[in-house]
Amino acid sequence: MTKYLLRRLPSAFGVLLLASFVIFLILRAVPGDPAEQLAGNDPSQEAVDAIRRNLGLDRPLLAQYGTWLADLVRGDLGTSYMIGGSVSDLLGQRLGNTLELTAGSLVFSLTLGLALGIAGVTVKNRFGQTLLSAINSVSLIVPPYVSGFLLVFVFAIAWPVLPAGGHVSVFDDPQIGFQYLLMPALVLALPSAAVLARYVKDGLQQALGEDYARTAKSLGVAPRRILWRHALPNALPPVLTVLGMQIGVLIGGAVIIEAVFAWPGLGLLAEQAVTERDYPVIQAVLLFLVAVFVVVQLLTDLAYALIDPRVRLG
Amino acid sequence: MATEVLTPLPVAAPKTRRVHNRYLRGLLTPRGVTGLTLVGVILLAGLAAPLLTSHDPNFQSAAALAGPGSDGHVWGTDDLGRDLLSRILYGIRTDLLVVLAAVPIGLAIGCSLALLAITHRVADVAVQRLFDLLQSFPGLILGLTITAIMGPGKVTIITVIALVEIPAFGRLLRGAILLHREREYAVAARVGGAGPLRLLTRHVLPNAADPVVVQIAVSMSIAVILEGAMSFIGIGVRPPDPSLGGILASSRPYLEDHFTYALGPLVVITALVVGLNLIAEALNRGARR
Repeated sequence: MTKYLLRRLPSAFGVLLLASFVIFLILRAVPGDPAEQLAGNDPSQEAVDAIRRNLGLDRPLLAQYGTWLADLVRGDLGTSYMIGGSVSDLLGQRLGNTLELTAGSLVFSLTLGLALGIAGVTVKNRFGQTLLSAINSVSLIVPPYVSGFLLVFVFAIAWPVLPAGGHVSVFDDPQIGFQYLLMPALVLALPSAAVLARYVKDGLQQALGEDYARTAKSLGVAPRRILWRHALPNALPPVLTVLGMQIGVLIGGAVIIEAVFAWPGLGLLAEQAVTERDYPVIQAVLLFLVAVFVVVQLLTDLAYALIDPRVRLG
Repeated sequence: MATEVLTPLPVAAPKTRRVHNRYLRGLLTPRGVTGLTLVGVILLAGLAAPLLTSHDPNFQSAAALAGPGSDGHVWGTDDLGRDLLSRILYGIRTDLLVVLAAVPIGLAIGCSLALLAITHRVADVAVQRLFDLLQSFPGLILGLTITAIMGPGKVTIITVIALVEIPAFGRLLRGAILLHREREYAVAARVGGAGPLRLLTRHVLPNAADPVVVQIAVSMSIAVILEGAMSFIGIGVRPPDPSLGGILASSRPYLEDHFTYALGPLVVITALVVGLNLIAEALNRGARR
């Protein structure tokens, strides 16, 4: 296992390095000079030059990248141009909130996905099947910000049992925190849950058609046990890969759900940074998001290797 | 003895003409017709906006947040006193403009890249890596990145949607061509002396096009969702230009007392997305039968 990890780590690291360089370059190639924006209305050339020198924007690109990367490795993400304060602090405050939302919705998406997928194989009557496929289609195609508005209207306004938006950390107050988390996490989870459900259902159907399932059945093993002990473990590996991809989707989707529910996370920070052209913040947020994708990809591969010895030994 | 003349029995004229085009056949099912109706009604409402409302979508009257029906405003006014029905109808126009510009661009570039990919191994690897790169970012993150570079606006949204659609179209077409190229009919055509170009255009492409045609409808629904999302978080269509996502965003603080404010864009976006997905499913079934 360690050997496999050592084999996979360098390429993950390479991707990160490449991504950091691309993100750095792209944002420097942007028209529009932050120094001129910072200098305010109708600045003198000297003032703009001074600001540029102060921010190090007059140095060669590669030198700027080198400095940025060296600081980055030391945990210093620079100083925000517009929002103010150190980028690491800004990121630190928001990161936890976004991860809380994403983790919550991951739990929902996995639970719902498994439940819907298993129900898809076990529910035999026609009405149940139609209902399940309707639930699946609706969760899949209705965009989360639309379902978010509807949920807010139903559960926060028409029948006020949940807060309409805002954030209280579940670590500070589990009960209240959960009330704030429930709607945004659920809304964010729905499309992913539908995708997972389809993979779970397909995997189970395939596994139940295999010889070992038939053998177990002919040996008199209870159908429930065949489903849970024999079919489900074999149906899970592809689901795991999809789950890995869905984590990326969830983090991407969090950006907008944070806006719907006034959830103070990375998404709101990114929006603010993009509209105000705050390079250091944009760079840090984008780099962080890429890092999450790379890590999730790595973890998915590792989980695969744990389940399937062919992967880690091959 | 009179011989009975055998007259051929009159053949009952078929009640419905059999539709030969497989896409049309798929669309003329309950599913397809429902989808076409939903999308068609919204499309017409957007196109006929100047006929359906006499209010300027950007004119700010004194009556802010008026309820439906008050003061000649059929659907009320927004927080700045602008007529909501006009803003929704003109917002549909903005949406249509963005979607109808972005999806064809994504289609054209994606399909060209797919055709490039099937010509040579090296090109194939390069194109596939490009698709990987584009698909490694979720749509909205790509949207944030591109907006950071280009600044917010319609051209930016169109670029983002096109970039999201390029790999979707490209992958589908590349995969379908590779699959159909090895089918027996293609091998037979090759044995029969068809050159590579003729094989591709006359035999393989007509069959490989099916998933791409379905994807056009799917892509449009993704484009509607993405446009709404980007305008909602303020990196899309710039105010005061009306857009569905923009109306939704500005309605958020007033949700409690003025739900009709948010209802318009919610209904339109949902209807468009559901309609386009029904059309996609209908096309898919028609093509498979």
